[in-house]
Amino acid sequence: MSSATTYVRDWGADVAAGWNRFWFEPTDPATLAAIRICTGVMLLYTHLVWGLELTTFFGPDGWLQADAVRFLQGESYAWSYLWWFESPAALWTVHIAALVVFAMLTVGLYTRVVSILAFIAALSYFGRATGALFGLDQINVMLAMYLCVGRSGDAFSLDRWRAARKAGHPLPVRRSWSSNVAIRLIQLHMCVIYMFAGMAKLTGPAWWDGNAMWMAFGNLEYQSLDMTWMADWPRLMNLMAHVTVFWELFYVALVWPRLTRPIVLLLAIPLHLGIAICLGMITFGVIMLVGNLAFVAPELTRAVVGRAPTGQGRGAPSDGPTHPAGKAKRRRDKSRSAK
Amino acid sequence: MNNTQDKPETIGPPGRGVRVLVSVLVSLHIVAVFLGPFAMPPQTSELAATLADVYRPYVDGLSLANGYRFFAPEPGPSHLVRYELTFDDGSTEPGEFPNRDSNWPRLLYHRYFMMSEFLNTLSNPDAPSERRDRYVRSYARHLLAEHGAKSVKLTLVRHWVPRMDEVRQGRKLTDKVLYEERSLGTFEREAS
Repeated sequence: MSSATTYVRDWGADVAAGWNRFWFEPTDPATLAAIRICTGVMLLYTHLVWGLELTTFFGPDGWLQADAVRFLQGESYAWSYLWWFESPAALWTVHIAALVVFAMLTVGLYTRVVSILAFIAALSYFGRATGALFGLDQINVMLAMYLCVGRSGDAFSLDRWRAARKAGHPLPVRRSWSSNVAIRLIQLHMCVIYMFAGMAKLTGPAWWDGNAMWMAFGNLEYQSLDMTWMADWPRLMNLMAHVTVFWELFYVALVWPRLTRPIVLLLAIPLHLGIAICLGMITFGVIMLVGNLAFVAPELTRAVVGRAPTGQGRGAPSDGPTHPAGKAKRRRDKSRSAK
Repeated sequence: MNNTQDKPETIGPPGRGVRVLVSVLVSLHIVAVFLGPFAMPPQTSELAATLADVYRPYVDGLSLANGYRFFAPEPGPSHLVRYELTFDDGSTEPGEFPNRDSNWPRLLYHRYFMMSEFLNTLSNPDAPSERRDRYVRSYARHLLAEHGAKSVKLTLVRHWVPRMDEVRQGRKLTDKVLYEERSLGTFEREAS
């Protein structure tokens, strides 16, 4: 066999092995469960706020009347079950049902079923509220979608607590390949989001001349804190604009290597908290950080959240090899066993 | 001590058939995730538009048709809607949205802010004006019904952000020269 053929065959085998490891290696659901809790809380809050003016937005005489929204959506395949409910009583009934679903998702009760129902509900408000939506809603729906894929109720949930109670002893960590698929999908989706957010900024002169950040901070309607004093710090404004663009553009590449991942994730915190605190978009800033959680190793999540009621005993396995913490632990274990 | 606490339970990896099926599905899905922003108007290639047409039911159905262009191409001026209600007795009442005083909590304020911003987006000369007109009429009908008014006059207000050097020289963010007004029309209560 020629060396070229051998090379191609080995390369193909490496790609297949890498693909299988990337997607199908069973993983601890701790991080996915943390994302479930945070997303559940955000969905609950988002829809509680819709509830403050439910019929004012979606009623027959509401702001977003059917003829306007449906005309705008035209031949789009966007859909919503809210179209079937017009009267205030009917709207309130389905709204309360949605709130119950989001609450159940948060605490992890009948998680496999309610994760699907939560996605359908979130999608329906997204399809109905065209004109009053923003980034928060896009990320809410995205995370709810991927929570349907993985077994997010296998940790930090009432489901797991009830199963342990029934068994009469703490349960081991349940690693699954579907939890890994869900985490991978969130990770890739986050990369697509930041890549396009960065690329779109390249077309704006203000991101090149460094004034863009001021144009956001100096916008009175966005301001939740008076940031006008920052006009005295033009170079700081320039730096923040440039860092934002570079960070978004290179996130897709730098979030994967073990060396750069912590730096990229740490930079996400001031960026999104800045949007949250200074530009009044607390919900959006927080939900973007929740999306970034997908890159946090399950071991770290467990260390932060603490031992779950279902228990993870000493010697429990680490996460898959693509997680930096998992790799480091395996190396330590290997070197110990070699000694 | 029960050993089951220490030994993890593992589901998977799946068999070859499931792996192939899931690989195909996630690959198709990732293409859809990419196409959502890639084929987002106004700037898009024919290739992207063609692919997006094939994927449209899936992309629309899962709400993947998002540009993710946060503050891009650059943060611009903000937009508000001012209105003046006229009642049967001839009295008038002004208002505007978003309104920090009445739209609370902040997320609710942001919903109103997005509604006024959306009107500006629909006012793009390249976009069919019928879409904007329907939204304007929707807002007007709501205000008339909500307040029991005879007519309502709507105005779209553009609020520019002053440059940093202008602010350093003393210009306030609320300086009148930073506001531009454009009438959206006057709307009468429809006969019931």
